[in-house]
Amino acid sequence: MRRLIGIGNPDRGDDAAGWEVAGRVTSWDVSRLTAGSLSLIDLWQDDDEVIIVDAMKSGAPVGTVVRIDAICDRLPHGAFSSTHAFGPAAVVELARTMARLPRSLIVYGIEAGQVEHGTPMTAAVATAVDQLALELQDA
Amino acid sequence: MPSDRREIAVDYLARVEGEGAMYLKIDGDEVTDLQFNIFEPPRFYEAFLRGRYFGEAPDITARICGICPVAYQTSAVNAMENAAGMFIGGQIRELRRLLYFGEWIESHTLHVYMLHAPDFLRYPSAIEMAADLPDVVGNALRLKKLGNTIMTVVGGREIHPINVRVGGFYRAPTKPELQALVEELEWALETAVATVSLVAGFDFPDFDREHEFVALHHPDEYAITDGRIVSSSGLDIDPTEWPDHFEETHVEWSNALHANIKGGGGYYVGPMARFALNGEQLSPSALAAASSVGLVPGVTNPFKSIVVRAVEIVHACETSLKIIEAYEPPDPPFLTVEPRSATGHGASEAPRGLLYHRYEIDESEIIVDAQIVPPTSQNQRSIEEDLRKYVTGRTHLDDETLQWQLEQAIRNYDPCISCATHFLDLTVDRTDPQR
Repeated sequence: MRRLIGIGNPDRGDDAAGWEVAGRVTSWDVSRLTAGSLSLIDLWQDDDEVIIVDAMKSGAPVGTVVRIDAICDRLPHGAFSSTHAFGPAAVVELARTMARLPRSLIVYGIEAGQVEHGTPMTAAVATAVDQLALELQDA
Repeated sequence: MPSDRREIAVDYLARVEGEGAMYLKIDGDEVTDLQFNIFEPPRFYEAFLRGRYFGEAPDITARICGICPVAYQTSAVNAMENAAGMFIGGQIRELRRLLYFGEWIESHTLHVYMLHAPDFLRYPSAIEMAADLPDVVGNALRLKKLGNTIMTVVGGREIHPINVRVGGFYRAPTKPELQALVEELEWALETAVATVSLVAGFDFPDFDREHEFVALHHPDEYAITDGRIVSSSGLDIDPTEWPDHFEETHVEWSNALHANIKGGGGYYVGPMARFALNGEQLSPSALAAASSVGLVPGVTNPFKSIVVRAVEIVHACETSLKIIEAYEPPDPPFLTVEPRSATGHGASEAPRGLLYHRYEIDESEIIVDAQIVPPTSQNQRSIEEDLRKYVTGRTHLDDETLQWQLEQAIRNYDPCISCATHFLDLTVDRTDPQR
């Protein structure tokens, strides 16, 4: 089983990036979450291969896409933050501690610009969403 | 005496929902300035409810919070039904209670195990705690999943449920769908009882403060979906009277309005208040679990709120089993509600405490005014009063220890800052370089 999980709030500008990518890919089992909650661990429990797409704030130019092999590397906590008490980076690290990660976990981060409620997605992020969705559709 | 003055500042409080900060200025043994600072931007839900059809309120307000959407939905439907002069009982009300218990199990488990327990066990987070206590954290994940499953079965999905409507539900779950929850609920009840013993064994700071507790009260049950608003000083009012007895005020350091008792002051809502005012109405296993660890209604040490939350998980599991045992699907699953040119008030007990809604609806069934008062807004003043008293007598502590304990004191309230903005950084400011 392989699953693509898009995380994001569709009402908060560039924060919708992961949500949007997941909405366009049909070649994977797709889940869309508004927050990277603890439910992620249950969501991927039957999957071997998992991709997460989420907006990030790392200081890179807006629209930059990074690919992290989360089985090999830790997620930079500050980049994948959340207004919730348990963001996606914390959930991945908790799952790692409890040996509940899938066999393969790739995390794509799309650098966000504006994430305020009611704002539109910036052009650079929209372009990144288009390109990443096409790439993952064929993956 | 500048050497006696210091500041402690936490710019971003961890392990709370949303974005907030705390600033503390200490002069000698005195706290000269203290701010529980909610800086998450205001979200204007009350403003954009205006002009919407009354039936949209439960779905719109559910989006306020990913942890306690059922609370928003329940207070909203209560208010709309109140505006129509209706009270809905029977199996529809029982389904609402079951859905709400799912939210209590999910939210309380997250806070007890993943957010608050690390404070007592001196772990920086649940991740490090999981390395030493994998079975404990594994149980927490399983309990939380059960809460989410109940919300999915009754509410349509685990976050922001879609099956709730004014008057009832769009679809009533079948008996077999609820029966399928029983085995896991029986496991959860046993695990929840063990959780009470686990958390009651933590070391609690020696701290007591007389609080004005406020909660819903129901004559026949531990109130959750509805009831009268009562307090430890004798207030006993219908939710329609909320505006006569409470008020919201703005303070410059918070994007959340502070709620006060008119002519009184701050008050405390949440599990501690419910236990103090309604504790004898808990389910038999919850009462026994509380009694076994010496927890009796009237406990005033807010650090023991973690034990009360654990007791409420027991209550939620046991009562859910009873509801499922007696369940008959309501047919139809909703009653028609037509509020016109009326004002409705609704209240329910969110995991964090009393949640009050008021809506004014015109003759076209359009919302013309809305007021939403979340529990964290109501607890802000009580949180600040706890912090102020806690520091007094502990100014000898170094900044790191003091900051840790103060953050723990804030987490006693399980604040949901996203809800209240309608968030947290901690600054303790003292100029004494020795500390």
